[in-house]
Amino acid sequence: MANVTFPFPFPDHLITLLPEMIVAVLAMTLLLVDLFISKENKIWTAYMAVITIVVAAIATIQLYPVGSIEAFYGFFVFDPFAAFSKLLLFAATAISILISIDYMKDENHVGEYYVLMLFAMLGMMLMISATNFIILYLGMELMALCTYVLVGYQREVLRSNEAALKYFILGALSSGMLLYGITFLYGVSGSFDYSDVGAALHATGNASDPAVLLGLVFLLAGLAFKVSMAPFHMWTPDAYEGAPTPITAFMSVAPKVAGFVVIVRVAVDALPAMQTEYMTILTGMAILTMAIGNLAAIAQRNIKRMLAYSTVGHVGFVVLGVIAGNADGYAGILVYLSIYMVMTLGIFAIIILMRREGIQGELLDDFAGLSKVRPGYALAMGLFLFSLGGIPFLAGFWAKYAVFIAAIEAGHVYLVLYALLFSAVGAFYYIRVVKYIYFDEARVTFEFTESRVMQATVAITAVAIVALGLYPDPLMDACKAAVVGLI
Amino acid sequence: MVGLSEYLIVAAALFSLGVIGLFLNRKNVIAILMCIELMLLAVNINLVAFSHFLNDISGQIFVFFVLTVAACEVAIGLAILVSFYRLRRSIEIEDINTLQG
Repeated sequence: MANVTFPFPFPDHLITLLPEMIVAVLAMTLLLVDLFISKENKIWTAYMAVITIVVAAIATIQLYPVGSIEAFYGFFVFDPFAAFSKLLLFAATAISILISIDYMKDENHVGEYYVLMLFAMLGMMLMISATNFIILYLGMELMALCTYVLVGYQREVLRSNEAALKYFILGALSSGMLLYGITFLYGVSGSFDYSDVGAALHATGNASDPAVLLGLVFLLAGLAFKVSMAPFHMWTPDAYEGAPTPITAFMSVAPKVAGFVVIVRVAVDALPAMQTEYMTILTGMAILTMAIGNLAAIAQRNIKRMLAYSTVGHVGFVVLGVIAGNADGYAGILVYLSIYMVMTLGIFAIIILMRREGIQGELLDDFAGLSKVRPGYALAMGLFLFSLGGIPFLAGFWAKYAVFIAAIEAGHVYLVLYALLFSAVGAFYYIRVVKYIYFDEARVTFEFTESRVMQATVAITAVAIVALGLYPDPLMDACKAAVVGLI
Repeated sequence: MVGLSEYLIVAAALFSLGVIGLFLNRKNVIAILMCIELMLLAVNINLVAFSHFLNDISGQIFVFFVLTVAACEVAIGLAILVSFYRLRRSIEIEDINTLQG
């Protein structure tokens, strides 16, 4: 028997890729299995997709104690930061799939929808664990290509198609810019590895080299696009409004988690020599993002559009955690994203419940008088909105507290005051919706889709908001533990 | 002798043409897809040039990934465009106007 020798040694620590492998293999299997599931039983595809995520989550939790391990010659890292972000991602995707089931029953219900969500999640998992620009690019594209299709999923609805088209064009532009930035960082350092780029920039000290600056600016522009930071947020309202509502929920949470992890990793590993420039650009974008997001949200009549601008506003607050640049800031990002995920998914679950024949339930007017008909939903909606507005002793307050305190520790007092101003503006338009719900007369007759899964989602997220508001410590400690070793 | 900077200038020119074309083009979505392709090819020129002058192979490997992903991207873009055309019977940029605010 011929002696087979590999041109390179077998990669160590393959086990750290276990969650990714599980998702990849099971998602492809699911694509095949789905062919044998009849149109009426597509709900099983959804459940199997959720089971896939649960299995991957168990694998991630099992791996959590290994600490920080690099695999594939430094292309891929498994550390507590990645594990925590992936668990967030799993929760976001699983809940998005569960709240999709009833929505999709009224649509062209095919299994590919759930498989695409799994692949989008796989792309984000790779982004989170990437320590190399090649993997980052591939993960980001896997995510982006799947989300383009998901946004345009309702093929017979014009606005869904149009949203997909706009999202696609601007998304492709952003990947082009990201790549162009990466080429310059490669040109200066001769490597695609975050840490090698960081070491090369540090060693040469050519931080003011125009090529490095060009690379930095384009890279940040591409990343800002994915997390919808102003001035690269133009796609957000259109894509959010046109997309099927569960996908809007998915997009407003999951890609933001992945995007912020990448922004933090690039700041910590690849560009520590460029800290000043990196933070200056981010500060400028944060100032713009908070203002545009919160001011533009006031003018919206469609709740999905309003939440799109509100996402932009929240992203502006999360960036404060990156600008703080200390362990508390990075932990604050995770706290913010966890809590933001719970609030957003809950609110979108209620919006989905509002949909029925002929009425999308997306206009703010559609919510008028909700409290008289369904006090339970009205209460949950009120909790989510107050929490998004950052009213004390609901979870949303602690999210803002975590990043604001970290930013003050790092000495950005004026920036935090500015952020406080705009979170007050934000509270205004959230509470306006509460006014519609509680103090206005009903203009339409309410008729809710009755669904156990949806009701459970709303109940669990609402309880979580109150519980996290009263006892934020376990979450905060978990997030602090997750960033140990990052810097 | 053609040096690194000449390659970079060509790539920068192509990239700018792509971006400008994307924003100034008011006619037709197919042209936008071509502009996107132009941007990605400019990136490839950059990568190959750096790879050659740095004597490092990884840049050229990245080019293959970029080419492959670009092909997928255009395939999906065209698919979305076809389904848009079925509903709207047009691929003029001016007709992409349902969502506004």
